[in-house]
Amino acid sequence: MDYPRYHRDIVNDLLDGKFVLATDAKFVELKNNGDFYGKFFKESFDFYLVIKTEYAFLISEETMESLSRDICIFLGVLCYELDKEGKNFLDEIQYAEFDQEIIDTLFENSSYIDLIQNNNQLKNSDNRKQFLGTLNRRNIIDRSSDRKFTFTPAYREFMEFARNFAKGKLQQNTVDEESQGA
Amino acid sequence: MRTEPRTIINFLSNYFDIVRELFDIQMKDGLIKTEELNRILSENETDIENKLIEYKFLKKISDDYEIRPVYFKFLEFILSEFKPLLPETIEKYEHSITSLFKKIKEGISKDRNILLQRITDLNNEVRDFTDAVEKNTIRLISETKELKANVDKIDYREKVRKASFWIDYYIKPLNTILDVSHSQSITNRLLDISQYINIRRLNFEDEVTRQQFEKLYTFLVQINDDLLKQSKILTNELLPLIERIRSESLILTGWIEFLKNPNKCEVPHLTKAYRKLPQSNNPYHNALEYVEQFLQSNEIYLNEPEDALSEKWIFNKDFYLDKLKKELPQTNFFDWAGKTLRTEYKAVETEKFFSLTSLLFEEDIDLEFDNKADRQIIRTTEMNLRVPKIKVKRHGLS
Repeated sequence: MDYPRYHRDIVNDLLDGKFVLATDAKFVELKNNGDFYGKFFKESFDFYLVIKTEYAFLISEETMESLSRDICIFLGVLCYELDKEGKNFLDEIQYAEFDQEIIDTLFENSSYIDLIQNNNQLKNSDNRKQFLGTLNRRNIIDRSSDRKFTFTPAYREFMEFARNFAKGKLQQNTVDEESQGA
Repeated sequence: MRTEPRTIINFLSNYFDIVRELFDIQMKDGLIKTEELNRILSENETDIENKLIEYKFLKKISDDYEIRPVYFKFLEFILSEFKPLLPETIEKYEHSITSLFKKIKEGISKDRNILLQRITDLNNEVRDFTDAVEKNTIRLISETKELKANVDKIDYREKVRKASFWIDYYIKPLNTILDVSHSQSITNRLLDISQYINIRRLNFEDEVTRQQFEKLYTFLVQINDDLLKQSKILTNELLPLIERIRSESLILTGWIEFLKNPNKCEVPHLTKAYRKLPQSNNPYHNALEYVEQFLQSNEIYLNEPEDALSEKWIFNKDFYLDKLKKELPQTNFFDWAGKTLRTEYKAVETEKFFSLTSLLFEEDIDLEFDNKADRQIIRTTEMNLRVPKIKVKRHGLS
């Protein structure tokens, strides 16, 4: 049996929990062989392969994985604080280069400080630095130096989550109002 | 009969959903109507009305009910949901704090016990004041986040009306209370108090009072930091509220709602890093673990083995003194000592030899030696000793 080009790298990257980005040559091979890889990961590891326009990644039913929750908290606080500063947070996350110092200032002055201090990955500057290292390894951010980084398109997955979460809440509120009205 | 406290706590825990619902109603309406209580109890298919009254959770007021203040405050605290206090309610602390401070200054050299009581009271009053400020800030932040998230889909005009209400009646007055640049603010008053207390904690004659001043000063320094933090939140987050609610975003609504209780929500299921590498993928932690084993500063004790302790030689003076007396007279004491040890232990150990030497100083031992005579050499296991020839007489007889 002939395997697609970069097969080994594709499998390794995805199993490392990385997002494979559209800018990566592997992405084209992965997309072109989407059916094969979808079955391969489902049958071999019980993982689901998600391929979107700009990135691909694996999801699992594993609920003990905590990184995803930490990423959501990180992005949630960051978006809220950027908005508070009067910035268009979506533009900032898509285009701006972030310095860890700015992140530290935003997080330390946040009204979500209790939540931040109770989160092991985000509670102080050193831990946040390590956390950003993890995001870098997973291709969610791209570090240009020890302290500077930009977000890769992988951030969209989490924005999508927030959008759906809001829709769910809005829907729930409408249902509640209707049931109260009835 | 007084109910066992644990029973009450267990009861509150078992029926927490009902308790929570009652709390929400009282928070909204100020009291709980009988029909509301009945509705909640029947929806939950339980009849705990009597228990709620027996445990003094609810109090009947005319035909309605009220959660007793002590429970209400407890629930406010654990749920971090506070009823906002009007700034004038908070301002009353200015009068009580100022009045107590004035009395402390006036009575500084009068009755010691009254002075101590006033210091304690001032401490409590400042604590109540900062608690009230903190509760209000938490509530105001929560309200503004709600407005920003706008899950209720209220239109922009209504949002601005609500925002203006919060700003005019709560946020601005609270800011005035906390504003350091405002000469009449309570924060400024606390700074004045802090300066006075700082001097007293250093130079007050009575030690107990000095310690109380010290305690109050430390507390005030901490309070000052807390109030600065609250003031910063007010300036950065609450005062620009009108500006902030101008924009709306579904994503931000999602994040605000998610951050209310992030540990209870379903999040995207990423995979854990699955691949197993032959080398460590945690070099930092492994290296740290390796280094840390050398950083242990526990003192190390070496205990001598127990059998070594039992082998330790103890000089039985009486035994050797008897032996010496029986073998008197001796023309050369050190010869005798050497032979005795050699017979018993096959070697002459220095420690034992010196112990036997101590027999020469016993009261009923008569000695005689020639100072000019040659010295003899006694070999012990550790050294060679040059010793004189000493005669030991028998009870005065040579």
